Amino acid sequence: MNIGKTLFGAALLLLTASPAMAAEKVYVYNWTEYIPQAVIDDFTKETGIEVVYTTYDSNETMYAKVKLAQQEGYDVVVPSTYFVSKMSREGLLQGLDHSQLPNARGLDAKMLDKPFDRGNVYSVPFMWGSTGIGVNAKEIDPATVTSWKDLWNPAYKGKVLLQDDLREVFHMALKLQGRSSNTTDPKEIEAAYGLLKELMPNVLLFNSDSPRLPYLAGEVSIGMIWNGEAWMAAEENEDIRYIYPKEGANLWVDSFVIPKSARNVKNGHAFINYMLKAEVAAQCVAQNGYATTVLAALPLLDEKVRTSPTIFPPPETVAAGEFQLDVGDALATYQRYWELLRAGN
Amino acid sequence: MESKTRPAVIGLVALWLVVFGVLPILLLLGASVLTQDPAHFVRLPLSLDAYRQLLEPAYLQVMLRSLKLALITVALCLLVGYPFAWFTARLPAGWKTTILVLLMIPFWTNSLVRTYAIRTLLGTQGLLNKALLALGVIDAPLQLIYTDLAVVLGLFYLMLPFMILPLYANLDKFDYRLVEAGRDLGAGFARIFVKIVWPLSLPGVFAGCILVFVPTMGLFYVATLLGGARQLLVGNLIQQQFLNARNWPAGSATSVVLILLMALMLAAYRLLLRRAATARGPQ
Repeated sequence: MNIGKTLFGAALLLLTASPAMAAEKVYVYNWTEYIPQAVIDDFTKETGIEVVYTTYDSNETMYAKVKLAQQEGYDVVVPSTYFVSKMSREGLLQGLDHSQLPNARGLDAKMLDKPFDRGNVYSVPFMWGSTGIGVNAKEIDPATVTSWKDLWNPAYKGKVLLQDDLREVFHMALKLQGRSSNTTDPKEIEAAYGLLKELMPNVLLFNSDSPRLPYLAGEVSIGMIWNGEAWMAAEENEDIRYIYPKEGANLWVDSFVIPKSARNVKNGHAFINYMLKAEVAAQCVAQNGYATTVLAALPLLDEKVRTSPTIFPPPETVAAGEFQLDVGDALATYQRYWELLRAGN
Repeated sequence: MESKTRPAVIGLVALWLVVFGVLPILLLLGASVLTQDPAHFVRLPLSLDAYRQLLEPAYLQVMLRSLKLALITVALCLLVGYPFAWFTARLPAGWKTTILVLLMIPFWTNSLVRTYAIRTLLGTQGLLNKALLALGVIDAPLQLIYTDLAVVLGLFYLMLPFMILPLYANLDKFDYRLVEAGRDLGAGFARIFVKIVWPLSLPGVFAGCILVFVPTMGLFYVATLLGGARQLLVGNLIQQQFLNARNWPAGSATSVVLILLMALMLAAYRLLLRRAATARGPQ
C-alpha cells in the first residue's frame, strides 16, 4: 500500500516535471518560402527555443490540419485575411496576450483592426500584398495594360496565366462588373461566371504554386501574379513588370495567430514577438518582396526595396483594392461555377 | 515453429489491410452519404445529395474527359508496349535482363521529378524547341507544354513500363513452336498473330491495360504540371472538393465512384481470365 503510494507520487512528479525538463520548443506552421532560414536559426540562438518548422501552400490545407489537430497542435500559424475570422468563429484560436508582444506596438495602422479581426484580439498582421497583373515588357507594352479587362483581349488567345484560386479569379470578374469581390449574391456570382467563361479561350494555364516561373521560362507574358512573386521575378529578369489594375487589386494580409490546441503558448508569443523585430521584418521583405506591417523596418531597407511600388503601393491603390472576406455558404456557389468553368470547353 | 509463425504473419498482413485498406474505404463510404458541414466537415442526416451531384453534366464531363485521356494512354501504351515486350521476350537471356533493368531504372526516380523533367523538354524554351529552332525547322517556338498532347505524352511515358512488364511475363512463356506450326500449315503473319499469338496473350494484355488505366485516372499532377490545370480531371476534382470546397461528402462520393469503376474492371478481368481458361481447357 505504502509502496504503491510512493510509486504513484513518483510517477506524478515525473509527469509534471517532464515538460520542464524537455528542451523548449515551438511548433510553427507557415507558408512555404516565407521566413528565411537564417531568421529561424537566429531565433533559436537568441532564445534557446527550438523551432519545429512545417509549411503549407494553401490556406485550405492549413485550415484542415489545424481543425483536425485539436490536441497537440501547432503553436503559431499564419492564416491569410478572412481565414482569421473563420477560424476564430469556429473556436480554433485563442486570444493573444499583447503584453507578451511588445514589438507589436507601432505596426502599420492601415493593417490593424480589420473586419476579419476587430481590435486584433486573435491576430497580429505580419506581411501583406496583392494580386495584380504581370506583364513581360519584351512581348507586351506595359503601358497598354491598365485593367483586368485587358486579359480578355482577343490578341492574348491561349496566352494568359490565372491563379489556381477561385476567389482570386472571381475577384477580377466581379470587380469589372462593379461588384464587391466578397458578394454572396448567387446572381452576381453567376454573372461573373458568364464573364469568366469568355476569358477561358485566352487561358493557357492555372498556377498558384510559383506563378513567377512560367513568366521567367517565357511560357507566359501576361496574367495574374502576386506582387511578391513579380518582385522576385524582376530580380531575375527586369522585363517582368507588375501592374495594379484600375478596378482594384485583390489584397490580403497574413497574420500570426495561436491556435487553441497550442502546447507552448508562451514560446508562441516569443516567436511572434521576434518576427516583429525591425531587423527581422526587414530581412523578410528583402527576400520575399511583400510589404511588412512593421514600420520600424522601413528605414532599414535598401532604397530600391523601400521605394518599389510593386512592394509598397501608393495609398490610393490600396484604397481601390479589396480585402477578401469569408463568404460563408456562398463558397459552395463559387465552387460550383468554378468547376463548371473548368469542366466545360 | 512453422505453425506459430504462419498465423502471426497472416494476422499481421490482415491487420495491415484492415487498418490501411478496409477502414479508410469504410470511412469514405460513410462520409459520402452524410451532409456537408462547413465547420465540422460532415454531419447527419444521411443523404444521397453527393451522388446526385455527380450526375450533373459538369461532373459527367470531367469523368468522361478523364476516361478519354486514360483510354488514349492505354491504347498508346499497348501499341508501343506489345511489340517491345514481344521482341524482348525473343532475345537471348542476357539481353532480356539488361533491357528489363534499363526499363526499371527510371523508377528509382520519383515520378513527380520525372514529370518536371518532361517540362524542361517540352517547355517554350525547352530542349526540343531550342533544338528545332537551331536546326531551322521552325521560326517560333511551338506551344507544346500546357496542351492535351503534353498530358498524354507524360502519362504514356510514366505508365509504359506497367504495360510492358505483364505483357513480357506473358509473352516470355509463349511457345514459339506454335508459330512454326502455324507457318507450316500455311498461315501468314497476320493470321498467326490474330489466331495464335493475340488470343494467348490476352491475360497479359488485360493485366497491362488495368495496371495502366487505374493509376492514370488518379495522376492529377500530370494534368496540372503538363496540361496547365486548365481542365479538371477526376483526381483534381477530388482534391478540390476535399480542400477548397471542404465538401467531404462530394469528394468521398467521387472517390467511391472511382473505386467502383476499378472494381468493375477487375471483375471483368477475372471473368475474362476464367473464360480463357475454360476455352483452352478440355479441347
